[in-house]
Amino acid sequence: MFWALFLVPTLIMAGAAAKLLFHEQERINRSALTALTQRAESIAESIHLTVETVKDNLIRSLEGIRPEKPDQILPDWAENNPLVRNVFIFKDNLVYPVQGPASTTEERRFITRYDALFSGRVPFKAILEEKGTGLKQADLHPASEYETRNISRKQLLTLSRSAPEVRAPAESKSEALMPDQQFGPESGWLPWFFENQLHILIWVKASSSGPVYGLELELMTLMSRLVAGFPAMTDNNASLVLMDGSSQHFHRFGTMNLPGKAKPAAQIAVSPLLPHWQMAAFMDPKGMGPGNGFLILSLILVGIFIVAIFSGGLLLTRMTLRNIRDAEQKTSFVSSVSHELKTPLTSIRMYAELLLSGRIRDGAKKETYLSVIMTESERLTRLINNVLDFGRLEQGKKTYRITGFDLDTVLYQIIDAHKIRIKEKGLDIIITGIREGGCRIHSDRDALEQVILNLMDNVLKYADKGRFIKFILGKEPDGTFLFKICDDGPGIPESHKEMIFEKFYRIDNSLTAARPGSGLGLSIARKIMRDLKGDLYYEPMENTGACFTARIKDHETR
Amino acid sequence: MWIVAAFLTAIPAGAGTAVADPAKVICRIEAEREAYSAGDPQNTVLKITLDAPSAPAHVSRPPVNVSLVLDRSGSMNGTKLEQAKAAAIEALSRLGKNDVFSLVVYDDNAHTIIPAQHPEDVNHIAGIIRQIRTGGSTALFNGVSLGAAEIRKNIEKDFVHRILLLSDGIANVGPSQPEDLGRLGAALLKEKISVSTMGVGMDYNEDLMTRLSQKSDGNTYFVESGNDLPRIFASELGDVLNVVARQVRLHITLQGDVEPVTIIGREGRINGRKIELSMNQLYGAQQKYALVEVKLPKSLPGSKMKIAEAEVHYENPFNKTREIAQGISYASFTSDKALVEKSANLGVVREYELNLKALAQEKAIRLSDEGKPLEAAQELKESAVKLEALGNKYQDKDLLKEAEETAKQAEQMEEKGMTTKDRKVLRTQSFQMKNQQKSE
Repeated sequence: MFWALFLVPTLIMAGAAAKLLFHEQERINRSALTALTQRAESIAESIHLTVETVKDNLIRSLEGIRPEKPDQILPDWAENNPLVRNVFIFKDNLVYPVQGPASTTEERRFITRYDALFSGRVPFKAILEEKGTGLKQADLHPASEYETRNISRKQLLTLSRSAPEVRAPAESKSEALMPDQQFGPESGWLPWFFENQLHILIWVKASSSGPVYGLELELMTLMSRLVAGFPAMTDNNASLVLMDGSSQHFHRFGTMNLPGKAKPAAQIAVSPLLPHWQMAAFMDPKGMGPGNGFLILSLILVGIFIVAIFSGGLLLTRMTLRNIRDAEQKTSFVSSVSHELKTPLTSIRMYAELLLSGRIRDGAKKETYLSVIMTESERLTRLINNVLDFGRLEQGKKTYRITGFDLDTVLYQIIDAHKIRIKEKGLDIIITGIREGGCRIHSDRDALEQVILNLMDNVLKYADKGRFIKFILGKEPDGTFLFKICDDGPGIPESHKEMIFEKFYRIDNSLTAARPGSGLGLSIARKIMRDLKGDLYYEPMENTGACFTARIKDHETR
Repeated sequence: MWIVAAFLTAIPAGAGTAVADPAKVICRIEAEREAYSAGDPQNTVLKITLDAPSAPAHVSRPPVNVSLVLDRSGSMNGTKLEQAKAAAIEALSRLGKNDVFSLVVYDDNAHTIIPAQHPEDVNHIAGIIRQIRTGGSTALFNGVSLGAAEIRKNIEKDFVHRILLLSDGIANVGPSQPEDLGRLGAALLKEKISVSTMGVGMDYNEDLMTRLSQKSDGNTYFVESGNDLPRIFASELGDVLNVVARQVRLHITLQGDVEPVTIIGREGRINGRKIELSMNQLYGAQQKYALVEVKLPKSLPGSKMKIAEAEVHYENPFNKTREIAQGISYASFTSDKALVEKSANLGVVREYELNLKALAQEKAIRLSDEGKPLEAAQELKESAVKLEALGNKYQDKDLLKEAEETAKQAEQMEEKGMTTKDRKVLRTQSFQMKNQQKSE
């Protein structure tokens, strides 16, 4: 029950903390994704803006070319401007480049690439109307922080407006438009897919009767310049990827390792001018940014906290349980001791009253009564000695007086003194292993006597239904004496064999216990034996019965 | 016997000045032979040679603007990167105070480690180079783009602009098709930036690297082991420091009824009787040439005609003026077969055959890629046989040596198919042949 008291709240707390943590982690991940997406959006927007401006500049440049001169200006432009991959002039048929050896391999492939357009199967479609929306959106955010410091972009824009403006005088533009004022120059940005790759054709038709001419944009230059101007991203667990229509990675921001099958967390179209191009945001599914560290650290802290609470609770419970047990044992001890004290006292008082009343004339009877009083007071003395000794032993105040004596003599004296008690219980006395004169020992005689007495009392108390009490005295090669007292009584259950040596412990600890006792005897005996560097332990007999062995150390100083 | 002496020499415009001024490029046209057998129209090969002068000793060379783009992907770890770093530091020490140096490294992303600057504090820069550690994958496109951005900081100034790209792996981040990188190279060339590529080890993409150099008029190198890097860096830098002509444009005008057939090994335009070629730059004492196949008209014995005029326009980087050199070639016709045989111009024949060999090598690569290793070997074998036949005919050691090497390549290929090393060697050789890259 005590366990449940702290276990359940701790577990609930741990669960709640973990849940909150994961929730927080998720929130962090979400906000990281939002930030990442915003970043992708800002990059996409910047790409769009750049491409948009490049487009406008190129168209303006193209429109600036005098209609009768494109064949002089355009090839030169293609040769010198890295943004221009190919140029063309089309009037009913392709005027430039010319199919055949006069064109380079690149030009021949250009013609093949745009065959559908140049053969008239696909019309030049003006996309002027689409221009509006894109520009408006771009104008809303005139210059982000990235925009202003991007040299590459500035260079790109310079590049896109350079060549023809220099070559074509400014006034030529108005002049060019003169013959056909009603006809607004048409122009177009034509995304063209060939062999699964995007190509961009920019064309202009300056007058209704004039040729269509224009250029193919070199996307590699565009991308190379953009890539060089992109801000660096240092995240290890997030990546932004610029992808073309066939999901080929053009550029990767961030150093996250992308496995082949990684799925983007978000995808944003880059620009309507570059159809199917996307910015994809990838996030490490295991966690984002500082969040991962946060989760681990928090989990560790919560773990420590919970372990602390748990072990604290465990300690408190153990102490409480111990105190409760101690208190119970003390109460029971006081009751048993009182009971123990009362029994001999009652006998003594009863016989003393009988004798005092003078009604007992019979001398033999008187003698019997007096001897009972004597025995009972001896029992009382032993009991009080035990209680006193217990107090002293517990406080470590008991002092031992080492003297030399014969152990067997002491044993015989004790047996003699208590022969009557033993016989009364109907037990045979068996003494073995005692060798005449070989039992000289140096130890505390009184203490040893008390131990032997306590052990004998135990036998008389618990094994009185048995047939014998056996005393065995032996000697180890190292000079230690082994003294055993055995009986064939009920013995001690296996589960109790160590606890019997604890203070106040009695196997049957109720007040109504059949046998009186304080539960101190064995505890005191063992304490004394250990104080004298020996030991006392219990061994069960083969069939039934108990056997206590005392190892008695010889303290002779040599 | 009336012999028309073959008249086929380099006649530089104003020959006198050309000799007096050794700093000028000399333009020569040579035909396959000096005398042709008269009669029906026939094809012949013209070799237009540009002899670049040595860099003048007393004039300081034009400053160079070099951006080193270094692969530091995981696979570069160890000797390769260490040698590349050592080579970079060595190269750095050869630059002068007026030159500009920048360093870009790339793995997953590209980073400019040393922004464009004059190499004044060489020790400091070398310290930065030594700290380069390997990283992850190979963002080659990004690396070259950043290198170009560094170059561009000084693009307006009068530098020889050069990116040195070193890679040992397949570009796996960003555009990675040879075609795409070729386009990037072509775009960079328009800004007068050339990219020289060094492929290290066996795992780089030789198609991509050679295409990038070819389109940007840089050099390409196959560096089999990291230990060769310092030597190759030195050779490359030797070229860069030694540019004597820039923006070289070659115009060939065919005379009379001579018709153009094709340009061999180079990109160019054939416009009527005009052939246009561009070569970007010439290095000191280098000889570059173009081969053009033309068709000679019907002729009478004893007649003589002017076949072609060549004009080369280029910018002299020392005094920044545009200069022109010219050459004319004549051919005579005879009915004397022996004379025709004897008048063969070995120089032209040899280069023509070697260029055909380069084309055969490329075809062999293509065949092998298509899973036809035997046909590829056959292609090389045929080329070897032709080279050997010619070598024997003219007793030319160079041709015989080439024939032997090519035969060996063919033999090996027949045995084990085309190994990655073979492919790299072939690709690099064919490129170097076609572009007359000086040997490493």
